[in-house]
Amino acid sequence: MIRLEKVSYSYPDGTPALENINLAIKKGEFIAIIGKNGSGKSTLALHLNGLLKPQKGKVIIRGMDTRDISKLPGIRKLVGIVFQNPETQFVGRTVEEDLAFGPENLCLPPVEIRKCVDMALAETGFEKYRYRSPKTLSGGQGQFVALAGILAMRPECLVFDEVTSMLDPDSGTDVLERIRKLQRKGKTVVYITHNLEELHAADRIIVMDKGRIVLEGDPESVFADPSLQSLGLTLPSLIELAARLKTCGVAIPWEKTSSPHSFAEEICQLFLKT
Amino acid sequence: MHEPVFSYVPGVSPLHKLDPRTKLVVVMLLGILAFRIENFAGIGALFILFFALTLLSRLPMTVFFRAVRPMMLFIIFIFLAQLFFSDGRPLATFWVLQPSMEGLENGLTLVSRFILLLLFAALLTASTDPSAITCGIERMLRPLPLQWLGISSFELATMMNISIAFLPLLFERVERTKAAQAARGMDFVKNPFHSVPALAIPLLRGVIRDAEELALAMESRGYQGKRRTSMHELSMQNRDWIALFVIVLFIIIVLNL
Ligand SMILES: Nc1ncnc2c1ncn2[C@@H]1O[C@H](COP(=O)(O)OP(=O)(O)OP(=O)(O)O)[C@@H](O)[C@H]1O
Ligand SMILES: [Mg+2]
Repeated sequence: MIRLEKVSYSYPDGTPALENINLAIKKGEFIAIIGKNGSGKSTLALHLNGLLKPQKGKVIIRGMDTRDISKLPGIRKLVGIVFQNPETQFVGRTVEEDLAFGPENLCLPPVEIRKCVDMALAETGFEKYRYRSPKTLSGGQGQFVALAGILAMRPECLVFDEVTSMLDPDSGTDVLERIRKLQRKGKTVVYITHNLEELHAADRIIVMDKGRIVLEGDPESVFADPSLQSLGLTLPSLIELAARLKTCGVAIPWEKTSSPHSFAEEICQLFLKT
Repeated sequence: MHEPVFSYVPGVSPLHKLDPRTKLVVVMLLGILAFRIENFAGIGALFILFFALTLLSRLPMTVFFRAVRPMMLFIIFIFLAQLFFSDGRPLATFWVLQPSMEGLENGLTLVSRFILLLLFAALLTASTDPSAITCGIERMLRPLPLQWLGISSFELATMMNISIAFLPLLFERVERTKAAQAARGMDFVKNPFHSVPALAIPLLRGVIRDAEELALAMESRGYQGKRRTSMHELSMQNRDWIALFVIVLFIIIVLNL
């Protein structure tokens, strides 16, 4: 659905941010992008709906090149981005008005706009906040509204750039749960994060460093890669624990490392056997 | 946070249901009328109209007190200035001050005009959703050749909406910057000359970053500064034409009083 071919990008001040990125994102995939600060994740995200255009190479979204200005409205409708800070994503005085912003830009007639808004509110379970000012919402609720603002445009692909980094763990889990549900309903998800704990169930993980893709694969193989530590990334504690146990001869199957609950169960089983 | 002065009070009254353009035009006409009439009968008629419309709007009176209260000092000042410094038949003498009959009349008319203006503006803003007002302004400006100024009516409307939505963020940032500077030992009371740049520079930097992020988020949601539609459906109904007709009739009558 999204294809990046040999994409390179430097910011106007000369900072190189992306170098020779090749990436294909399939429809319905949950793809995670990780990497330390300044590795180019956000820059990559901005390329996914044409907010930045590659200086070399090209980005093709459903056959549309992001450098073709006439295709931009179509591309923005197809791929929506939720950013890190909920406060600077609100344009409306009320939640309802904010959600209407995208559909209004698509020049839909008023009746259709209302339908989009209602659908997005239902999808996030936020009907009761319709007339609230987005400024009065908590960080977690704010990210839900930002997500609803994107959903109101009915995109097929959703990009999340560190959306949980300003939230407490509980609201973070809520947001992530909602994103998973959307993916199960068929949306393509690109999920950028620092928190590797969130990635156990990703279809694919891309690891970036200095503007390049340095590792790519399913979570099991990426987490097992020895170079991860040197890239400034810390493994989820359960994965790390499993790795340590393995070196002393105790093998915990990958599926059991997804939660403390299943992990403990597995260990109990092992004890009972001996 | 204190209640904003001109704020919207949601409702379903006949006044709420009017098209925002109708209300904008009516308020403009009545504002002009208030400054054209010279006699007390006309001013009285405008006050009666205001009370009639308020009854129709089913808005609480507090809305209107809130609109006038912040200007009260100014209103009293212009009244006293007119009262004491107009030439005319003296009413009484207090030391060197001589309030005059003409002064009293001038003061009352001027103050009434001013209060009427505030009241009708409050009636508009309290009975109309702010984004419907901007939508109405946008639709009225659309035929104007604004592209000569390098701006479209759509951009203008979005700018108005964004400023309404973005202002609280700005205030919050001022508070945050103040707190951060105070934590570093800056005394805002003792040291106003130092503290202004100390506040302004980080503030500006923060605001610019916020604005950049906001612009990116807007563009990402398909904003191009070109033609866009609005969730608010504006269509002039029979009631709008009737309202305009009644007001025009009212104006003609008042001008001939
Ligand atoms: N607007 C900008 N102007 C100039 N350079 C920039 C700009 N934004 C980012 N950069 C630089 O580009 C590089 C990649 O930045 P990017 O924001 O894509 O990294 P990131 O992986 O998203 O980092 P983080 O984890 O901190 O969000 C960095 O070296 C950064 O300093
Ligand atoms: Mg980033």
